[in-house]
Amino acid sequence: MRSDTTGFWTPVALSADVLAGTVIPARVSAGIIALWRSQSGHVAASADRCPHRGMSLSHGFVRGEALSCIYHGWSYGQDGRCVRIPAHPGLTPPETIRVTTYAVRESDGIVWVAEGTPASDPPSLAGWIPLRTLTVEADREAIETAAGASASADGLLETTRADERLCLLLSPSQQVRTGMQTVTHVLVADGCLPPVRIAASRSAERLRRMAETAAEKGRLP
Amino acid sequence: MMRLYDYVLSPSCYKVRLMAALAGVSLELRPVDFHPGAEHRGPELLSLNPAGSLPILVDGDLVLTESSAILVYLAGKAASQWLGRASPVDAAREQQWLSFSSRLTTSLGSARLHEMLLRPGDIGALQAAGIAALRELEAGLVEQRLQGRAFLVANAPTVADIACFPYVALAPDGGISLDPYPAIRLWSRALRALPGFIEMPGIHRLHELKPEPLLEPGVV
Repeated sequence: MRSDTTGFWTPVALSADVLAGTVIPARVSAGIIALWRSQSGHVAASADRCPHRGMSLSHGFVRGEALSCIYHGWSYGQDGRCVRIPAHPGLTPPETIRVTTYAVRESDGIVWVAEGTPASDPPSLAGWIPLRTLTVEADREAIETAAGASASADGLLETTRADERLCLLLSPSQQVRTGMQTVTHVLVADGCLPPVRIAASRSAERLRRMAETAAEKGRLP
Repeated sequence: MMRLYDYVLSPSCYKVRLMAALAGVSLELRPVDFHPGAEHRGPELLSLNPAGSLPILVDGDLVLTESSAILVYLAGKAASQWLGRASPVDAAREQQWLSFSSRLTTSLGSARLHEMLLRPGDIGALQAAGIAALRELEAGLVEQRLQGRAFLVANAPTVADIACFPYVALAPDGGISLDPYPAIRLWSRALRALPGFIEMPGIHRLHELKPEPLLEPGVV
């Protein structure tokens, strides 16, 4: 994922988990960002801080094509420009009022956020479909050990157990208050039936338990 | 009219107020000085409920305690579609999640009391138990969604959802983030979007569903 020096794509969420007209917090290496989808379906990402009073924009709400702050309702378009200040209804907000934005791509059912300026598109996930997102309280190495396989440069880790195929799409591990954390998207083979998907969901939880147990042991003195 | 012995900041009392609102039942609210007065441990309320807990529902000669039992009573009287009784599996799932909800109270709820009212307790252990419960709920909701069901028992909400929702929604009060749980987020949104949904302090309606404030130029 860091194969080039100009930037990389971080997989932050499943497309299906970002409903039209909603905003959620998402994690990139810079910290938490506000990830939102407009009523018409466009996904955008911005810094999680309203320039007015510093409130988290991921606590805000989406009306139409704008993200609004829950505190005083300042609203921002996908390009980050402030489009409305409710306390000053007659005012066209000056261009200088804006939030930092991030480039976003949606492909193969995953929302990717650019950190820096990636030289290429997000990796293809052809043949897989996203199942769910798990947060693992362990670093990538512990997950690789638990799965008995290594992740590719793009963060893709394939594992086969019995006749069940599972693919984990690992975001870069982050240092958080409680230790290392890795947001992990679970993918299954395209076309598999609900019972197979449920089994895959449980397998992913088993891998998480193994990775976290190993990480916990590593932390003991 | 049924009378609810109520404390506005209690998630368990809110379960009853919410179920009543969704079922269209009117309640007479009798506020209890839970904090700092500990009125629920006073002689009047102990004579109604020796356990000294809230909520208490009084309907004529009937006195009910324990929020899950009260939810089942309200739904059975006024909104039987809120009871998961379509099959033995549904009935069992409903009981499973009603029992599970008490684990939310002892984990997430105790962490919240520790952080908000300085109740004694091992906050690390309470938070760990809360996270384990949230992960269990998340996994359950993922499996339901994979079978085309948006709620804990069926594709429509039941008393089990109401029993689990408040302590989950207030988990951040106990220092427990809800960010890692996409399925819980979708479920919580679906519940808050229900017609008749009411708020409690810390659990708000979906802001985008409220009408846009009228723009009145010149009025600040």
